[in-house]
Order: sequence, then C-alpha cells, then structure tokens
Amino acid sequence: MSDFILLPGEFRILERLRLNPSRSFSGRVRGERLTAKRGLSIEFSDYREYAEGDDLRHLDWNVLARLDTPIMKTYRDEEDLAVHLLIDASSSMSFGEPSKFEQAKRLAAAIAYVALCGGDALYPATLGLRTPPIQGLRNRTSFQRFAAWCSSHQPEGNAGLAASAKAFASSSARAGLCILLTDGFDPEIAQGIRILAGRGHEVNLLQVLSDIELDPDIEGDLRLIDAESGEAVEITANAPTLREYRKRLEVHNKELEAEVLRSGGKYAQVNAKTSLEIAVRDILIKKGWVKS
Amino acid sequence: MNLLNPSSLLLLLPLAAAIIALYLLRMRRKDLRVPASFLWPERTDEIRANSLFQKLKFSWLLVLQLLALALLGFAFSQPQMKQKGLAGAVTCVVLDASASMNTKEGSRTRFEMGLGQVNQMISSASPGDRLALIVAGSQPSVIFPLSSDPAKQKLALTKARPTDADADVGEALRLAAALVGTTEKAQIVVLSDGVFGPVENFSPGKAGVKFSVIGKETENLGIQALGSTPTDKGLLLYCGVNNYGAKAKQASLNLYADGKLLDSVKVDAAPAKVWNKTVLAPPGVKVFEARLKSGDAFPTDDYAVSLTSAGSSLRVLLVGKGDMFIEKALALEARVTLERAAQVPNAEKKSSPGPGVYDIVIFDGAPAEPVKARGVLVFGSPSGLSYVSGQGTAKNPKPGDSEQHPLTKGVDFSEVYIDTASKVQETAGGKALVSSSAGPLVVAHDGPTREAYVAFEPLNSDFPLTIGFPIFLSNALDWLGGKSAGAEISISPGQSFAIPTTAQEVKVDGENLSLTVPTKDQRAVVKGVDRVGEYKITGGGSKKLFVSLRSDRESDITPNSKLNLGAKSVAGQSSVDRLADIWKPLLLLALLVLAGEWWFFARRS
Repeated sequence: MSDFILLPGEFRILERLRLNPSRSFSGRVRGERLTAKRGLSIEFSDYREYAEGDDLRHLDWNVLARLDTPIMKTYRDEEDLAVHLLIDASSSMSFGEPSKFEQAKRLAAAIAYVALCGGDALYPATLGLRTPPIQGLRNRTSFQRFAAWCSSHQPEGNAGLAASAKAFASSSARAGLCILLTDGFDPEIAQGIRILAGRGHEVNLLQVLSDIELDPDIEGDLRLIDAESGEAVEITANAPTLREYRKRLEVHNKELEAEVLRSGGKYAQVNAKTSLEIAVRDILIKKGWVKS
Repeated sequence: MNLLNPSSLLLLLPLAAAIIALYLLRMRRKDLRVPASFLWPERTDEIRANSLFQKLKFSWLLVLQLLALALLGFAFSQPQMKQKGLAGAVTCVVLDASASMNTKEGSRTRFEMGLGQVNQMISSASPGDRLALIVAGSQPSVIFPLSSDPAKQKLALTKARPTDADADVGEALRLAAALVGTTEKAQIVVLSDGVFGPVENFSPGKAGVKFSVIGKETENLGIQALGSTPTDKGLLLYCGVNNYGAKAKQASLNLYADGKLLDSVKVDAAPAKVWNKTVLAPPGVKVFEARLKSGDAFPTDDYAVSLTSAGSSLRVLLVGKGDMFIEKALALEARVTLERAAQVPNAEKKSSPGPGVYDIVIFDGAPAEPVKARGVLVFGSPSGLSYVSGQGTAKNPKPGDSEQHPLTKGVDFSEVYIDTASKVQETAGGKALVSSSAGPLVVAHDGPTREAYVAFEPLNSDFPLTIGFPIFLSNALDWLGGKSAGAEISISPGQSFAIPTTAQEVKVDGENLSLTVPTKDQRAVVKGVDRVGEYKITGGGSKKLFVSLRSDRESDITPNSKLNLGAKSVAGQSSVDRLADIWKPLLLLALLVLAGEWWFFARRS
C-alpha cells in the first residue's frame, strides 16, 4: 500500500463519485453544492418584484414586455459542504485481521477523496483518541495531507466513543455531513449520535466489525478484559454463552442502526475483511452514500 | 432394610467432603482481551477448578456428583430389602396338608391360603431362583422338585390337595432337609397352622427354617369319642363331643345305627369341656355313626363311625423287643388297634381282677404269661405254655406240609427258611399244624382262650419276606379274635389297609375320592384314602369303608405360633419374605446419574 492509503485503481473509481447527503447545508465559501440561500448560480430559484438597486441583468424582460411589470429572477446559491470524517481510534478498533482500524482508514480515505474531488470541505478527526485538530482540507491536492494525518494515528485511545462524540458535538464545528467510521462498541454510543444530530449534523455511521466480533472462536473458562475500560468479565465460553453474546451483539447493532436512521442519517455495516472496491460498490454506492 | 456392609457408608463422608472441596477451589481463568466486554454475559459454569478457595456456589453438577456418590456408597453397603414371596434363591416349601388345614378362614381354607402363598412365591421368584414344594399329608408328597420353571410349577400346584389325615410333617421336613440341606443359604419354609405332632430327628443342615403361620380360627366343636360297650341291658353306645374352643357352643347331634337315625339331640358344650351322650343300641347293630351339625370352621371332625360287630375291631398288644415285620403287617389290618409293651401290663394279667382291654396279645420272643385276652399268639420261646413243652433248640429245621386249619389257610410253610427254632413237642390240647424233622413248628390250642404257637421268631427266618406272613397273621387275627373281618371297615384318614381278595383289582369309591388298587399276592393294599366319608369297596366281594377322624391334636385348631423342631424352635411369622439384594439397581442408578452428569458437563463445556 502506498503512502496514499489507496491504490491507483481505487482513485480512478472514486474520482467520478460525489457525496450524497440527504439534505443541504450552508457553506462558508462558494462551492459546488447548491444551498437554500439565494445567490448567483445558473440554477433558477424564483421570481420577485423589482426593488430599487436590483441588478438589471436579472430582470425578466419578457414579463416586463407582456405585463408591463418589472419582475426579477432569483437563483440558488452554491456553497461548499462541511464533511466531518470521524474515525474511531479507540483500542477496540485494533482487533481483527486486517484490523478494523485499517479498514476504517481505507474507507475514510475513500470518502475523503470523494469529498475533496467534489469540492467539499473535509474536516477529519478521531474519536476515542485525543488528537490536535486539523485545518479543513479542500481540493484533491489536500489528499496527501489527509493520508499523512491518517497514517499518523494508531488505535490506542480509551477516551470512550460516546464521550468523544459529545465533545465533538460541543465544538464549534459547523453543521455538515458527519461520517463516523467506528465499531460502535460503546454502550452509550446512541446518546452520542443523538447529540451529534441535535447539533444539525447529518450522521452517517459506517460500522466496521471483524470476524472476532461477528463469530468469536473461543472456548473454555476465560476472563475477558475490555480493551478500553479494562473491565473484566468471567465467562465459560460454551454454546449457551456464545449464543447469548451473539444475541446481545445483534440487539446492540439494531439499536445503533435505529438511532442513526431516526436522526435522519445512514447506517451500514462492513466487515474488516471486505475489499474497498466491494465496500464502495455494495455499500457507498448501492445505499446512496455517494452518487456518480 | 438390612445392610451387609454398613462400614462402606463411612466412606461417604470424606468422599463427599472431597467433592465439595473441589467445588470450593476457585477456577483460574485464562485472560483474553476483547473489543467490548459489555456484550458478554457474565456466565460461569464451574466445571474445572484449579486455584484456591472461593465461596461455594450452587451447581447442578455438584448435586449430581453427590447424588451419584450417595448411590454408589449405598450400593457398596450391599443393602437388602424385605420382599414378600420367595424366601431365598433355593427354597423348599413344606405345605401342611393335615386335617386342621381344612379349617375355614373366611371364604378360604387354611390349605387354600397356603397354596396362595406358594403361588405368590412362584410369581415373585427371580430367574434362577429354585423352588420345590412338598405337601405334608399322611405321606409326604413332592408336588414339584427343585426347579425354576414357574409355568410348570403353577401347573403342578393344581395337583396339590388337602387331606383329612393326621399329617406326618416331620417326615416332610426330613425330606425337605435331604433336598436342600446341603445348599448354602437355602430355606425351608413351613406353611402350616402349626397343628401337628412333635418333630423329632430333624436337622435342616445348612438350610434355614422359616415358619409362616396360617390361620386364626380357634373355635371348634368335634366328636372326640364314639364307641360301644356291652352292658347287662345290651350294647351301650356312647358319644363324646368336645368343645375345643373358648366359647360355649350349641350344636345338633344325630346318631345313626346301620344308617337309620337312632337319636337326635341338642349339644350344649361348655368351653374346653366334653359333652357326653349314651344310648342303648338296637340288637344286631353293626355300624354306629354320629353326625354333628355345628356350623363351625372345621367340619372334618363332625363325623365319626364305630363298628360294633365282633372282629370288626381288634385291640392287639404286642409284647417283646419289637418286630418291624409284625408291626407293619398288623398296621395293614384296618380292624387292628395296635399297642406295644416290653412286658404284659399288670392289669392285663389273668391274676389281676377285672376285665382286660385287649382282644389279642402277641408275645414276640418274650416268655408267654396267662392273660385276660381271648386270643394269644406266641413266637419263639415256649416257656409258660401248657400245650407245648420245650426241648432245646433246633438248627435249620425243614418245615413239612401244613395241616388243614384256619391258621394255615393259604400259607405255604414248605419254602420257609428257618435259621433257629425252638425244639418243642405238643402236649395235651395242642395240635401241630406244621411239623419239621425237629418237631412241630406251628401249634394251635383251642380252649376258653384260643392260642397259637410258632416255634421260631420271624426275624430268625425269611418267613416275613414271604407272601404267607401277612396271610398267616390275618388268619391268626380271625381265629384268635373269634370272628373273621366283617363286611365293614373303619379307618382313620390316610391309614393303609389290606384286603384279601382273588380279584385282579379293588375299587374304592366315595364322595370325595375314587381309587383303583391292583391286587398282588392275593391281596390289595389300599393307601391314600385320606378324606373323611363313606366308601364302597368292590372287587372280590363288597365291603363298606368308613373313614373318620378322631384326633384331639387336629381338632384343636388353634394355630401354634411356634414350630418345635426337637431342641430348636422357630417363631412363626405372618408372611414369608426374603432379603433381596438391591445393590445392582442402585449401581445402575448411580451409573445413570453419572451419565447424566457427564451429559450435563459436556453440554455446558
């Protein structure tokens, strides 16, 4: 793998894609995203009566000739989209082969590249690991900086997923598309999603899980130590215990998905082993996360 | 319940403590990092402990292991449970078939109750258990030998029948001892009311003896005595009815003379008292019968017969050291009531006042003495006899032809081998009936007292082994008694008797029994007529046979709770049971519990 995280062929696939948020957001600079604001673009928005001082270039001369009334044409404004790419860097992401964190980074790189190509403002950040904030990235030329930022992190945080999400929500980050790449292993994660959504973000959650979580292959009498909290649980790994675990995981994931959907966002689950090409095709494209 | 090895139970405590201690050990678990522990249920099953102590937690595995241990410990203690039915792996049942076993206990007789117990034993027998049944009637009878075939045993059981006889239970017990006495842990089970004679010369060997008491009934009214005695006014008939119970009883007594009702009286018998009745007999009466209508539980002794004709009953005294051949031959004479004595009782001596009680006295090797009896038969020594004189002894005298005389009728002395005989000579009044080169061998003397002398003792010759011996004794009873046997015979149940006849066979027909007896050596020995009643005998003439029971022992139907076997006594019990080993099912149960424990363990681990 190159320093750019993505392979050359993958760049070609991603170049023609654009992020597809469910709603529009106000931008800071002019961009390629239409907003609800009136502005200067080629996209017609509405008519209004002429007022003194209006730019006569937008006067509808045909209406004036027919009705003898000056009517102005208005147009939708185009601004950039704030894309907050939140990568879970907590210790739990280090599990799996390849690790969930590796998969999360590759997916994040793919989404980042799509966002940068689309002229969106990219704000990468980590969850579960306190890292200094990075300035917003624009244009595809910034992708190298993103890749460097991404490569500099390891999944070793233990700040807690929900707590990190709450901290992000309380920051001054402007409302935008908030994409979470996480395993979702925090019992309080639903609350974090609610707070993010409450701040005006569209929360899209891509849950990355490995086989270790989906189908654990363990047996015997074990003391399970939580990778983040260090809490221990004593179990006898037998059929009933594993059955109970799978049931709990399924319930947790369902609750997670329900919370995301309730907030108006998108939810998808991906295996850490799934190739990027398949993930882009079957999840990002098929489920409407991106569009051509 | 009984434990053969109770000490093994002591092992239970330390073993249980060891198992519990294993559960007190804390499990050392392997640490494993996981992405999220909150998804895992805290679910521990203590199946392997290898660290130091923890608080004892409830565990089904512990419960199952302790249960299996308890079952194993209990099985090793070899517990035994009492089971009704068979008394052991090898059991010989002696079922009393004496008259008292016909006592009714509710709807069933004691004998039927005994059969029910045997049936239960057969049904409860385990495969391999061997069971034999001996019915103790007048003669012991093996109904089925030691076997383990319940179907055949139950089929054979239908052949068992009660008798009205005074049973010889001792002989049956000796037979049982011969059958199982050499087998370890064998059991002889006596099913009886305990109403039978004392048992002597019995040793059960290695076998144990159990006694199951059958019956509870105690009240009985029975005819104890029936007979006649000559008086100045004629023949006086007497009848005695005994109340064997503890309550006063009333009954109706009918007396018959030659089948015709002579008198009917009401009996009012006080407890343990005899009620008597006498009545003058009509002239020429031969058969005197008494029938009691008491409605009690034991009807067998409610019927009695007495023959009044001369010769129909003879009371014989045998004086001497005893001769089995003479006794056996006399026992086959139904009319004979035999008594034995080493010497003549004073009351019977002619010198004593009063009448004598014996009809005939037989001196077997003992010196003859003048007696009051109307007939005397002497074997061996001629001393004291007036019609022969002794002249020493003769070796191997060869008998010659016999003279025609009632004594020698049908008897061939010519082939008799005599080892030693008294050398005698007949004197006045004596008539030599059989002579030899050494002198007369049989001499008869007819006078106020009829006398016969045989110059040799039967044991000094092979005379008892010949056909002529019982015929000679029968002839002697006829001639010495003054009358030949009549057309009526009266016996007690089960008594054997002989009938002289030239017919091929003799038939005995009665209400309860029919027999056909083949004739051998001009006489039929009838055995097995053991039910009370009147019978008709046909074959070479017609006779009437009357069978009645007069036995104080059998009539006293109160069950005995203790069985006296000589020096040893066995306490009775209400039912026979056995101590059956139950360690095998316990072991199986323990294995099942262990299998369940393994399944439970495998399912959880």
